Amino acid sequence: MKRLLFILAIAASGSLNSCVDMDITPKNIVTDNELLNTPAGMDIYMSRMYSLMPFEDFKYTAQWGFESNGWLNSTGIEGTGEAVNREGLSASFTGERTSYWSKGFVLIRDANHLIETLPAFRENFSEELYNHYLGEAYYVRAMTFYTMAKRFGGIPLVTKVIQYPSSEDEMEVPRASEEETWDQILADFDQAIELLMPQEIKEGYANKYVALAFKSEAMLYAGSVAKYNQDVSGRLTGIGRKTGVRVIGFDEASWRTASVRYFTEAYQAARTIMQDGKYSLYKKRWIAGDTEAQYQNMVEMFSDLSSPENIYVKEYIFPTATHSFDAYNMPFSFRSPLSAGTCPTLDFVELFDGFDRYPDGSIRVTNGDQNASGEYLMFDSPLDFFKDAEPRLRAYVIFPFDQFRNKQIEVRGGVYTGDAPIKPFFSSYAYNNADTRYQNLSIYNGSSKSLYLSPREGGSQELVDYNGQQMTAAGQEGPFFDNGEATVTGLYLRKWLQTNPSAELGEGKSAQPFILMRYADVLLNAAEAAIELELVGASSPDGSSLLQVATDAINAIRERAGAVMLQGTLTGDVNGRNIVRKERRKELAFEHKSKWDIRRWRVAHYEGRDGFWGESRDKNKFSNNENFRFRGLYPFFSTKTGKYFFDARFQWIASKTFGYRPLDYYFEVPSGEVAKSSVIDQQPNR
Amino acid sequence: MLALVSSCSLFEADSYDAPDVTLVGSVVDVLTGKPVLTDQGSEGIRVRLTELSWGDNVEHNPDFYCMPDGTFQNTKLFKGNYHITVDGPFVPLLRRDPDGKELADESIVMNLETSHQVKFEVQPFLHVEWVGEPTVQNGKITAKVKVTRGVSPEDFKAKVEPMGNYNDDFLNMTDIQFFVSYSSSVGYRARDERWSSRLDYSGNSFEDLFGQTITIESNGEIPAGRTVFVRAAARINYNTPVGSGTRRWNYNEAKEILVN
Repeated sequence: MKRLLFILAIAASGSLNSCVDMDITPKNIVTDNELLNTPAGMDIYMSRMYSLMPFEDFKYTAQWGFESNGWLNSTGIEGTGEAVNREGLSASFTGERTSYWSKGFVLIRDANHLIETLPAFRENFSEELYNHYLGEAYYVRAMTFYTMAKRFGGIPLVTKVIQYPSSEDEMEVPRASEEETWDQILADFDQAIELLMPQEIKEGYANKYVALAFKSEAMLYAGSVAKYNQDVSGRLTGIGRKTGVRVIGFDEASWRTASVRYFTEAYQAARTIMQDGKYSLYKKRWIAGDTEAQYQNMVEMFSDLSSPENIYVKEYIFPTATHSFDAYNMPFSFRSPLSAGTCPTLDFVELFDGFDRYPDGSIRVTNGDQNASGEYLMFDSPLDFFKDAEPRLRAYVIFPFDQFRNKQIEVRGGVYTGDAPIKPFFSSYAYNNADTRYQNLSIYNGSSKSLYLSPREGGSQELVDYNGQQMTAAGQEGPFFDNGEATVTGLYLRKWLQTNPSAELGEGKSAQPFILMRYADVLLNAAEAAIELELVGASSPDGSSLLQVATDAINAIRERAGAVMLQGTLTGDVNGRNIVRKERRKELAFEHKSKWDIRRWRVAHYEGRDGFWGESRDKNKFSNNENFRFRGLYPFFSTKTGKYFFDARFQWIASKTFGYRPLDYYFEVPSGEVAKSSVIDQQPNR
Repeated sequence: MLALVSSCSLFEADSYDAPDVTLVGSVVDVLTGKPVLTDQGSEGIRVRLTELSWGDNVEHNPDFYCMPDGTFQNTKLFKGNYHITVDGPFVPLLRRDPDGKELADESIVMNLETSHQVKFEVQPFLHVEWVGEPTVQNGKITAKVKVTRGVSPEDFKAKVEPMGNYNDDFLNMTDIQFFVSYSSSVGYRARDERWSSRLDYSGNSFEDLFGQTITIESNGEIPAGRTVFVRAAARINYNTPVGSGTRRWNYNEAKEILVN
């Protein structure tokens, strides 16, 4: 008993002792003192910030948002018209499953912490390095605000570290107006540009030019939104219910000046990069007049890390930091485990030079005046159809029967055994007939069968006797009308895909870099801002000739692409603007950029849809008064002639329709964030 | 020990009442008392309920939509004090000035406890009426319709202008849709692309055609031997709710037609 009391007494005294203040930081917590006083510590701080950056690359899927995994990753399928696929993911960009809201504030807090705390450690670094670190914090904050602003419009501008716990007044930050938001983004980019060194500390980190390039892109977005909101029925703007702040759109009195201000900033930022001469278009393999070399040049530029065109690149390293782009986007016979995640459309191909056209500008497949009239044009090989195609297009898209990874990509929609000349399969190719497919035709399922198609690959292929041999109806690479895992449009993607035939394919086995910003972006930003300034009669901010700069930029890109050069100088009108827009649609396809361009131009909803393709196209050819669709290009083989012909029709397999309403130009703020806060406004038009 | 366990109410059933309040409503024309016909879906009349007892910062309930005949019903509501409003092809009930200040709110605020009926009396933008019976020839349906204004331009302007950014173009009739479908819920959503058609009018070119008989014909050739449903709809150049960019149609009633 005595002994027990003794033990209890010791235990009691021990517990008393523990009440003494313990103000020694535990060893497992890293503090500012350890992180912010050496370059090595700073590197750790930076690597966390950069790893949280909202980069739209091989780990980003538009329908899902920033979920940081590469599952089913593909590009351009989100209603941009560049591509479609079989998945539900191939739908308009009207929101993201994981909204970029709370994640953004985590990163902003890291940036704000650095901005507030680093001055205390100033003497540990050289002046230049200290400034550079601060510049990176401003750059990160600008990028995060920009990422949110293009989704939501006005956002809470949290520009200092909010202590927790604290009073509600301190912790609750309402959404600022859209104009204030873009002004803050502008100010943060400007701070970053002033502080950052011209050379980054580490690959993948920011430098002055990275900030300049993204500034020009962000300001182009801001200027476009300020201007083109006016064209949306009833002006796209509104006042938040809780705060009375104009959280989306611009004031009637200020949109004009704001728009010119932003376009001017976009122009100047791009011009600074162009004049400093650090970057240039990739032309290592380029040879004037040699389309084969020009094509090879544009294939290689996307994987060459030493490219002088690369301004900002997200790199991957096998086997630790990888993605799965190849595993989901290769042609059917390379599937590993999936394929055909990005099937380019005929509408996209139509943007490019080198094809015969109908009077309305669409690509010619018959000798009539539109694709429902006349007879099909015949080709010895499907590749002949593309013999004059722009080299850039061939670098982005695999044509039927072209080579890829030492293999001929055999794409054939079906085999036709009827007599030549051959009349178009359908009497109407209009939008309202899009749901009648080849397998519904009486020449396929009627009593006198002359069209052979395959529902699936392998043993499900229909066979046709041709020259004493059996020929499969569909090509080895599809399309198969009951299996969307081969091409659904007749075309496959080439851009970004691993070209080395010996490289192993599979999920998590790809390590190609993703180019987030390249010099061509900058040229296109300069050209578009220049034309927009010219359109409103604004003066050139640096005395340069706006139209000449725009013309030179477009011609530089066209020359490298092997496209037809401009005749004369661009004009400061809608026509000139559309030439620049169209060039952007072509050059930056499959780079997660077009979906933002379509949004900022306000050309996805029905009333604005004539401008969807950058150039002007009659929207009624590809949409009804709400939805729109895209077309494929399907090669067929004619046994009577031994030749190929093409049919151009709306997506045959896994047919997708897309829709866009004006209110989709501003994403819904996550409703939980609105409900739990007394100051966060939902979009007023929802 | 026992006391601990029982304090968790471990053995009690979750006794919160299931939502059992029913709200039945209709949207009618204030002048004629006739229902305002609509489309079934988010381009039709939207019903929005907000439970006010949660305080100022409440989020509205999930929206739902009227049936084509302009009525709605929800049988799974919780008891409470609700703000009930509808948005559709009629003069907005809830009107705010450009600074967000409330100008008028003709919505209904009421306690919902058991089963309730509400009626919204609104000023529809347009009336669309059949003139005679549609006829069928060679798989084409020809129908005659008449479009009239449901609200006078002066009245519309008096109520909408204070909301800001007013434009006289708002009143322009822009298009007549002729929807054809195998489904009896024919409308914007349930239409057959092959046969539905439309007539567009630019600017105020329809001004002289109000009250006149307009002939509209279906597209393509409808296969014989089946029954189809047809409906016409018209709209003005004004979106509701403001800023949504959605211009909603006023409809007439669906008709069943045998194609032979």
